[in-house]
This record gives sequence, C-alpha cells and structure tokens, in this order.
Amino acid sequence: MQTAVGGGVLAIGLALAGGAISIPSAAGYGGVGPNFLPWVVAISLIGCGALIIREALTGGFRAMDEPSGAEHAYWPAFAWVSAGLLANAALITTIGFILSCTLCYVLAVQGLRRASGQPAGDPGGMAIDVFTGAAISAPVYWAFTQFLGINLPGLTSTGWL
Amino acid sequence: MDILNALLQGFATAISPVNLLWAFVGCVLGTAVGVLPGIGPAVAVAMLLPITSKVDVTASMIFFAGIYYGAMYGGSTTSILLNTPGETATMVTAMEGNKMAKSGRAGAALATAAIGSFVAGTIATVIVTLFAPVVADFAVKLGPPEYFMLMVLAFTTVSAVLGKSTLRGMTALLVGLAVGCIGLDQISGQPRYTLGKPELLDGIEIVLVAVGLFAVAEVMYAAMYEGRSTEAQNPMSKVYMTGNDWRRSIPAWLRGTEIGAPFGCIPAGGTEIPTFLSYATEKKLAKGENLAEFGTKGAIEGVAGPEAANNASVTAALIPLLTLGIPTSNTTAIMLGAFQNYGIQPGPQLFTSSAALVWALIASLYIGNVMLLILNLPMVKLWVQLLKIPKPQLYAGILIFATVGAYGMRQSAFDLVLLYGIGVFGVLMRRYDFPTAPVVVGMILGPLAEAQLRNAVSIGEGSFTVFLQRPMSLGLLVLVVAILVLPRLARARAARRLRTAR
Repeated sequence: MQTAVGGGVLAIGLALAGGAISIPSAAGYGGVGPNFLPWVVAISLIGCGALIIREALTGGFRAMDEPSGAEHAYWPAFAWVSAGLLANAALITTIGFILSCTLCYVLAVQGLRRASGQPAGDPGGMAIDVFTGAAISAPVYWAFTQFLGINLPGLTSTGWL
Repeated sequence: MDILNALLQGFATAISPVNLLWAFVGCVLGTAVGVLPGIGPAVAVAMLLPITSKVDVTASMIFFAGIYYGAMYGGSTTSILLNTPGETATMVTAMEGNKMAKSGRAGAALATAAIGSFVAGTIATVIVTLFAPVVADFAVKLGPPEYFMLMVLAFTTVSAVLGKSTLRGMTALLVGLAVGCIGLDQISGQPRYTLGKPELLDGIEIVLVAVGLFAVAEVMYAAMYEGRSTEAQNPMSKVYMTGNDWRRSIPAWLRGTEIGAPFGCIPAGGTEIPTFLSYATEKKLAKGENLAEFGTKGAIEGVAGPEAANNASVTAALIPLLTLGIPTSNTTAIMLGAFQNYGIQPGPQLFTSSAALVWALIASLYIGNVMLLILNLPMVKLWVQLLKIPKPQLYAGILIFATVGAYGMRQSAFDLVLLYGIGVFGVLMRRYDFPTAPVVVGMILGPLAEAQLRNAVSIGEGSFTVFLQRPMSLGLLVLVVAILVLPRLARARAARRLRTAR
C-alpha cells in the first residue's frame, strides 16, 4: 500500500509534467516563463515519488508514526459520509441549503453512529437526526444570508427556506 | 512616540462597539473551536472566509485574529481534560497537564495555562507593537531576490524541519505548489492546468483546500478509523492556584515567552520546537520535589512554560505575516488569503498604506487577550460542557459548516465535489503521515514566490546568479542549505560514532 502511495505521487508528477508541456514558455526578457515552476514541481514530484517507492520497498516509510485509530478502515462509514457529501453537492442548488445540508447531516450521522457501534437506522433515532440536522442548518443559513448577506441557495427565494 | 500615537489611534478604532463585538464573537468562537476536537482555528477561519465579501476589512481581521487567539486558549482546555491532545501546539501541554488532571489538579493546570497564555500573549503583543514597524522599515529595502529566498526559507522550514520526514514534507509542499499553479498565470495570463474547465480558471480557493484537508478529512478519518476509540475525561476541579503554584508558574511563563517569541518572529514557524524547548528547560531547571512531579503527578511548570511559549510564538508569528507577507502556519496562511480577498498584500508597505487597519488589528490583540482571560478563567466550566457533545453529531455538524465555507465562497456546486475529493486525499495523507501544513503554505505562498522569482531573474537579466550576487540573498541561501544539510551530517556522524564504538 505504501508503494501505491509512492506510485500515486509519481503519477501526479507525471500528470503535471504532461500538463506542463502544453504551457507555452513565453519567458520574455525575464528568462523565466509561466512553465518554469510547473516543470520544477513536476520533476521534483516525480523524484519524490521514486524516493517514496524506494522507502516503501526497503523497509517501509522512514520516521513514520503509527497512524491513530483502528488498523483497518471501516468502509460502511466511509460510504455513508461520502453519500452525504456527494448528495449535498448534487442537490444543493435544487432543494436549497437547509434541506440539502440536513440530508447530508442525516446520512453522515448514520455512518458515524455505525462506526462507533451505536444503534442506527431505527425510525425514532432518524427522526431525531433529521430534527438536529435542520436545527443546525437552518440557523446557519439564516445567519449567513440574512446577517452577512452571503448567497446560499434556497428552495424558495424568500431567504428563509 | 509615533508608535504610541499610532497604537492609540488603533485603540480608538478597535473599541468602537461594532469592532468590540466582532472581537468578542471571534474570541468566543475561537475558544469553542479550540475546545472542540476535530476542528481547529485554521479551518474555522477558512470556513468563515466568505464573509470577506461583505464585512469591512478591519472588522473581519479583528474577528479572525480573535479566532486565531481564542483557539490557543481553548486548545489547552481540551488537552488538559481529555487524553487526546488536539493540535500539535498543545501536545506538550497535554503531557504534564494530563498528569496534573489525573491527580485531581485540573483546575490549577487550567488556570496556569490561561493566565500563562495571557501573560505571554500580552508580552508578545508588546513585542509586535515595538518591532513590527522596525521590521517593516527594514523590509522595504528588500528586493525580489531577498523576498524569494525568504519564502524558500519558509518553505524549507515548514516542509523539512517541522515534520518528521523531509521527503514526505517536501512531497506535501510540492502538491501545494502544484495546486497554487492551477488557474491563470498572474504575470503572463496563461491558463495552467485548467483542463479546459472554466471553473478552474480562477484557481482553487484556499477555503476548499483548507476545509477539505482539515475538516472533511478529519470527519472521514474519524468515521473510518476512530469510531471505536474511547477517550476518558479527567475530573474537573476548582480553578484555583495556590501561592506555591504562582511561585512556580510566574518564572516559567516568563521563560516560556522568552523562548517562544523569537521563534514566532523568524519566518520559520511552528510551535512544536519552542514548546518542546520550553518543556525541556523547565524540566532541567526543576529541583527536588518539583522535578519528581514531572511525568508522575504532573508539574505545573511543565504546563505553564510550554503554554506561554506557544502563545508567545503564535502572537509573534504576526510579525512576519504583517511585515513580510510570509505566513508560517496554517492559520496565518489563511489569514494572508483573507487579506488577499480584500486586495491587500501584507508586506512592508502595509504599515504605511493600511496603517489604520494594522494598528486597529494590533490594538484588538490587547483587547482580545483580556477578553479571553475572562472567558477562559471564570467560565471554563461552561466550555467543558462542549466536550459532552457526542462525536457522531459533532462530526456530522462540522460537515454543514464545511458546506457553508466551500459553497459560500463562489456559489458553485462543482466546489462541493472538489471538497469531497480533497477530503479523501486528506484521509490518505493523514493515514500515511504526510503533513498538511506545507500544502496550505505552498498553495498560498507559491504564486507569490513565483512572482518574486520571475522578478528577481528579470533583474538579473535572465541569470540566476542574481541570488548569489546580493549579500542578503546569498546569506539566506546558505541558511537554507544549512537547514537541509546540517541535521543530516550530524545524524550521519552520530551513526558513524555509534558504529566505531561498537
């Protein structure tokens, strides 16, 4: 897995180098053009990726702390939280900030509850989660749209929902 | 006298009811953010960056400074009462603070942390007041080559010195620099890495990266790996210091300030080194019974010193931010982003072009420190209640605030998808021990450094030797090389000695 991380870094470096090819140099009389830094970054990242792979293959990452928490990821929780965030991204402009964030909250809380071994999914608990989610998102929405004048999408154009 | 006059002017601005209110709200929010696990000052400031489009610049900088400061006070509460230290800055406080709390002296530890933060914060603010204008006067003389080398110095220390692995720190920095490249090149107007998407022409907002890496990644990481981790809360006791506690704390506060302030001033950043140094000093100076308390019952000096060092360096870090425009931590990097949103570039000119703003900001630091002392001493029991919020609800709630920050900046649902992607990336970084601060610093400072580099090379008529020809940039270059090479040489020599000894 550490090798894969190194491979990922290497791949980012290569992708950046690929992108850098299409940036014109246009250095003018300064000698350093807009493609200079991208090339430096791309080449250095390729180098870092290679070194990370070498570390991974020769005894693992150096000076690394044991990551905190469980040894293996709890993927159902990841799925729930991802669902919440992506649903939010997909729906926020159509159903408005309050409803969309409440949905995101409810989905994420399901995952987090399961992760900590709490019971989740019963209708009573869900109802409480929906209520809590709305009780956080609604005041946040009002504070930002009414007092600070920041545009957040609403279901209606009243500024209250 | 000029400074005193300017400062008084600043106070006149800062004590207007509106600004006082912003400072107060900032301090309250900052303390809350510091107390709550899973969310720190950098992400709080980042989430609130959208307000820069509506709120006046002085008010919002006072507000952000309040959050920045408040989180330092609040953070010590959590690290003393919970067994998991919140941020790196309070890790050292946690070592002795936890021991003290376990032996029933949580109150004294909280008191010495809060009063120590106040003492150090105030002394460091005086240092900022006196020295920032001097540094600004000096900094006017710096040209692009010197600026570029200063920024390289900041990059080097943030990525190579502060983390555990130079390789992983550098990788993180390079990723930050790459993100900073996305968008229109500021000098030639060339689009870079935009993949033909108009959304990317403006670049990636700092809010997205900060909120994604710190908030969303934190929530995902907690859900995936830390669901079963349990933490015990230490019992609270009366917030009170005995005469002996005072006698032991006062010198420790002063020593901590003395150690912390210089570290904040240099564009190298980080609170780990000064807090550890202060801890080591206190332990070395302790004698007899006091020494025996270290690591057993918990020694009060071990909380007082590092906490003061922490606050002093955090405050003094405003000097390089305001006078050179060089941020040395996550939060100062994002505050630099806030200045940029107003079209203000912190740097030596700031003290002349935006004098009223700077001095109001500095004055608000004095006021904020007093507010925070009051908020954190008599009212600490209230803040402790925040630790009772159950984790699932707390973390899911953080996502709502993350949405506000990410969406409020550009009103784009595309940004929310990016936010998710950055969050997943952050989980990987955390799992494989890549530091995140270099990403943010690289992203913010990268474009500035690139501009300085290109100006410098233009001055040198296309030749890079310009960096060697000017004494100060050469000196900085030598320093950067020394920072990278010396620790390695020392390690290699120690290893060799170990081998010959065998």
